[in-house]
Amino acid sequence: MALLDVRPGFDPMLTGKRAECDGGGILPGGRYAARQEFTGSLTGEFRDHGNPAWRWYLMNELTQKPDNYPHETVWCESESLFLLEE
Amino acid sequence: MTKDPLHTKLCDQLGVEFPIVAFTHCKDVAVAVINSGGFAVLGEAMHTPEEIASDIKWMKDRIDGKPFGIDLVLPASAPPETTLEEITAKIPQEHMDYKQSVMDKYDCPMPKQQVDLHQWGGLSLAHGRAQLEVLLDERVPVIASGLGSPAFLLEAAHERGCLVWGLVGRTRQAKRQIEAGVDAVIAQGFDAAGHTGDMGTLSIVAEVAAIAGDTPIIAAGGITTGRHLAAALCLGASGVWTGTLWLASRESDVDMIIKERLVASEAADTTWSDSVSGFTMRVLKNPWTEEWKKPEAPDPLPSPYQMILSADYTQGANDARRPDLMYEASGQGVGFVKEMKPARQIVSDMVEEALTVFDDVVGLPD
Repeated sequence: MALLDVRPGFDPMLTGKRAECDGGGILPGGRYAARQEFTGSLTGEFRDHGNPAWRWYLMNELTQKPDNYPHETVWCESESLFLLEE
Repeated sequence: MTKDPLHTKLCDQLGVEFPIVAFTHCKDVAVAVINSGGFAVLGEAMHTPEEIASDIKWMKDRIDGKPFGIDLVLPASAPPETTLEEITAKIPQEHMDYKQSVMDKYDCPMPKQQVDLHQWGGLSLAHGRAQLEVLLDERVPVIASGLGSPAFLLEAAHERGCLVWGLVGRTRQAKRQIEAGVDAVIAQGFDAAGHTGDMGTLSIVAEVAAIAGDTPIIAAGGITTGRHLAAALCLGASGVWTGTLWLASRESDVDMIIKERLVASEAADTTWSDSVSGFTMRVLKNPWTEEWKKPEAPDPLPSPYQMILSADYTQGANDARRPDLMYEASGQGVGFVKEMKPARQIVSDMVEEALTVFDDVVGLPD
């Protein structure tokens, strides 16, 4: 399967904003999905996948993540992202 | 009372007789429920776009123009791109050894074929998007997202006459989706099968209903009887989303061994375990979940590592059809699944019981 058309972008207004992500996704090896919660800072980087655009923001400086989540960053779908300063 | 308590705005939205939504991975169950006056959403998250198109045609040929839904799992977060090889290499040897000891203890055979691990990262987005294109092309009456927000596809869906439903585990997710304009919100509680949020069904349904305005709310989690249906409507829901209820139905393609276990199970026979996937999920108790609770067991790994660990056990048990090893995701309502009834009878029994409850409490219209 071909990868989606991806258009990277940057929104400086979001850089450093603290946010929570009600994330998750389907799990490898099965038909089940799982929820994952993250708290961190938005870098301002985003990616628009396909058309209509499905927007994802990059979050780093994670202060909350699933136990033993091995990465320092996570991509969050825009509608699942909640700015803490709102 | 002056109106039929089971005729809700969800019935009006869908043009169905009863506010009962069956979530199922089995086409035969979906067709039977739809043709019995309910509504069905077919889970297609693990299918290819071609398989989804084929299933849609199969269903359309059997429901005489009635509406139906398709559920996909839209991701809400994604780790940086990694390969399966990179992930597998990070599983500690201690965990590999413990997995093997469990499989040896129960004489669990290895899978007959290599376990097909789902892709993630950028490829899963492409996969999800390709699945969505099929639903839009086929103008599926209801597109449901079992996890992530479907808000980005609302305009495209509505242009094609498709309704969009989102499943939420938290009230703020519901608020966001309602503001975006989804056509219904499924509020799923902790009682449900599989992975859920941490709010109980009673709490989340009431909270979401309180902010829903005209948007129909569908209650999910532990709902298997007409008594549950009546309670959900009293909480402010316009319908119920049911999954476990159909697993042991006559039409269901679930293995007979699992059906027999479901029929024999009570709520307490389910467990909320992170040993299967690395996330807590509700399944029927089984040797794998119980062995990972023991003091000598290492702590389960996070997803996706634990899922990779458990995959051989799960597939090996299923391939060998071992009743002592097999399991299935199951909600806490399983205690009321006591017979392998036809789906039509399940619908009519649920309706009859709900009406009896309403009649007992407030009386029914003449």
